[in-house]
Amino acid sequence: MKHFKPITRRVNTIIILSLVFGLGMTTAYFSYNENSALISTTRNNLHQQSDILYQSIKNAMLPGNAPIAVSLFTDIRDINPAYEIMLFRENGVQAFSDNTTIDTVNTNLMRKKFSERLTQINDMFTIHNDPQFTSTVLQRKTSAFQISDKGQTFFTIYKPLLNLPKCAVCHGSDHTIRGIIKIRSNITPIVKKQRINLLIAGAFFILLLLFLTLLLTRFFKTKILGPVKHIGTVCTEVTSGNFNSRVTINNEDEIGVLGDTVNTMVEGLYERFQLSKFVSSSTINSIKNKEEGFKDSITLFFSDIRSFTAYSENKTPEQIVENLNKILSMQTEIIHKYGGDVDKYVGDEVVALFTGEEKEINACRSALEIQKELAARSASHYDGLQVGIGLNTGEVILGMIGSSQRADFTVIGDHVNFASRLCDAAKPGQVIISDSVYTNLHNRFKTSNPYKIKVKGKEKFQRVYILTPLTKEDPEV
Amino acid sequence: MKKIILITVISSLFLFLSGCKNKETARLIVPDNYTNWTITADNLNYPIPGHENHFRRVFINSTGKKVMTEKKNGRVFYNYPKGTIIIKEIYPSLNPKPETKPISLSVMIKDPDNPKSRDGWVWIVKDLKKNTEKIIDYEFCYDCHTNANEPHPYGDGNPNGDFRDDVFFPYKKGN
Ligand code: HEC
Repeated sequence: MKHFKPITRRVNTIIILSLVFGLGMTTAYFSYNENSALISTTRNNLHQQSDILYQSIKNAMLPGNAPIAVSLFTDIRDINPAYEIMLFRENGVQAFSDNTTIDTVNTNLMRKKFSERLTQINDMFTIHNDPQFTSTVLQRKTSAFQISDKGQTFFTIYKPLLNLPKCAVCHGSDHTIRGIIKIRSNITPIVKKQRINLLIAGAFFILLLLFLTLLLTRFFKTKILGPVKHIGTVCTEVTSGNFNSRVTINNEDEIGVLGDTVNTMVEGLYERFQLSKFVSSSTINSIKNKEEGFKDSITLFFSDIRSFTAYSENKTPEQIVENLNKILSMQTEIIHKYGGDVDKYVGDEVVALFTGEEKEINACRSALEIQKELAARSASHYDGLQVGIGLNTGEVILGMIGSSQRADFTVIGDHVNFASRLCDAAKPGQVIISDSVYTNLHNRFKTSNPYKIKVKGKEKFQRVYILTPLTKEDPEV
Repeated sequence: MKKIILITVISSLFLFLSGCKNKETARLIVPDNYTNWTITADNLNYPIPGHENHFRRVFINSTGKKVMTEKKNGRVFYNYPKGTIIIKEIYPSLNPKPETKPISLSVMIKDPDNPKSRDGWVWIVKDLKKNTEKIIDYEFCYDCHTNANEPHPYGDGNPNGDFRDDVFFPYKKGN
């Protein structure tokens, strides 16, 4: 694995991303809609009011009743202080603030229709540098805008009052815009409401997000990630040899099924593991490596119980099996201890193979230790049974021998037969080694003088040695 | 992981963009060959509100000449058929030289089905220099022109207060 990326993190990211995106869009959409509905209702209302006002001003002005319009403005302002109405001239000066208009009208009519005002409006108001106002005058088009000032929000409408033909009679034809109506409403409460709406939506979004994230992560943890991790632990334990480990998931879903499958698999593995005891490790290796046959130089170990046939005649089958197994187990253990591989048991006979640099030395060690054990405890532990052992080194053929249904990995060749003959020749407690074994011992073990024996299958006499048994004093081989 | 983020970003961008509507492209609808139409008002060389200090001439197309008049309760009702076009030339000054060309056109097209029409007319200002047309669908042109349907100080002054379909200088048979 190049770089471990925990799936938990990815799942969490996906959950959070999709929630943020999905919920965010929905809340944003709804709160936006809610807010724009709120504000557009307010604005529409104001526009309607400005239209009504426009019509009433038009009609109030015409008969020369300008003062009626003025008092209309003040009346409205008095009723609702949050609502302001003013009328301006094109140049930004508040209308009715001085006698300019009256003078023009009187001139146009060539008579004094209106007498000049003596008292002028004191709090006269002029609009300077208001781009919205200027644009309304130039574009001759209603403009509406919202501004915030010192925590207060105002919605303002500038509406041009046209110099209609009926107005032109009194006011002259040299201008198009008679004036600009300004309607300003304090919409702070509505803006506040909007803000509260947004806050509520935001809080709702965060709460829902937290809740769903918790819920989903918990679900993923308990229903998917947890079980997967548990299966992983079981697999690790089984890999390290604990076949008792089992997946315990009660989910009735795909993961539950997976757990059951893993359990069945572990059971199967355990069975195979048990079975592998009955198969030599060279067999297993050969299966692993898909080996065919090959040649190798190995040391062959043959041991055989002396006078076993005679022994069997006086014993019950149970006794025979028990003692035979004891003595075979003891030998197997010692052979394994020195790196040997038990190829097979043939009745009371053990066939083992030693490979590697010190194959002869390891084989001799095993043989001597087996004989030492029997010398010391044959009577007490092995019902008086004794073995003879033969060792021989040589090139043999190893391979799967058998049919496609049933095959064993085993050794064949002359040298195998020779080792078996040496074993036959060995007396109880004896270890006979061939010359090829002897030459590779380099005097590590004491032996008898060489002597020659004639064995079946070989024309010539063969030079062999008998290993000197270990005494009680020899601490180890 | 990067893929997921990329998809998220792209889809939100898409959603965002699909929210914007593409702008309607303006199509010119005022005909150029109006100069051989019938003139309803010539030599308008006095200032008026709405069209100000500019010399003006008014033309009407042949459809407009089929204007129907009907007398109801002593008041004459004018009704211009759909397709009527009235074009008013606006010159740079009140006293242009004969060879001077108009700078803009104020146009009324009778088309009550047009969503941008007001009082049954589509109100257009054509800038002849830039060759652009602007439909005025807000309260400006028609607000003033409804005054043509009552007595007013221009032209014949509509002394009887006839309903003249928002036209100050109506086409009169025999013009
Ligand atoms: C303030 C009043 C006013 C406004 C606003 C106004 N007009 Fe006029 N219009 C007149 C008057 C008055 C006439 C009569 C002809 C003249 O003297 O120029 C006229 C004439 C016309 C005519 C010739 C037909 C007729 O009624 O005799 C057209 C076309 C026209 N206007 C288009 C427009 C358009 C388009 C707009 C808006 C951009 C507009 N007008 C805005 C007052 C106005």
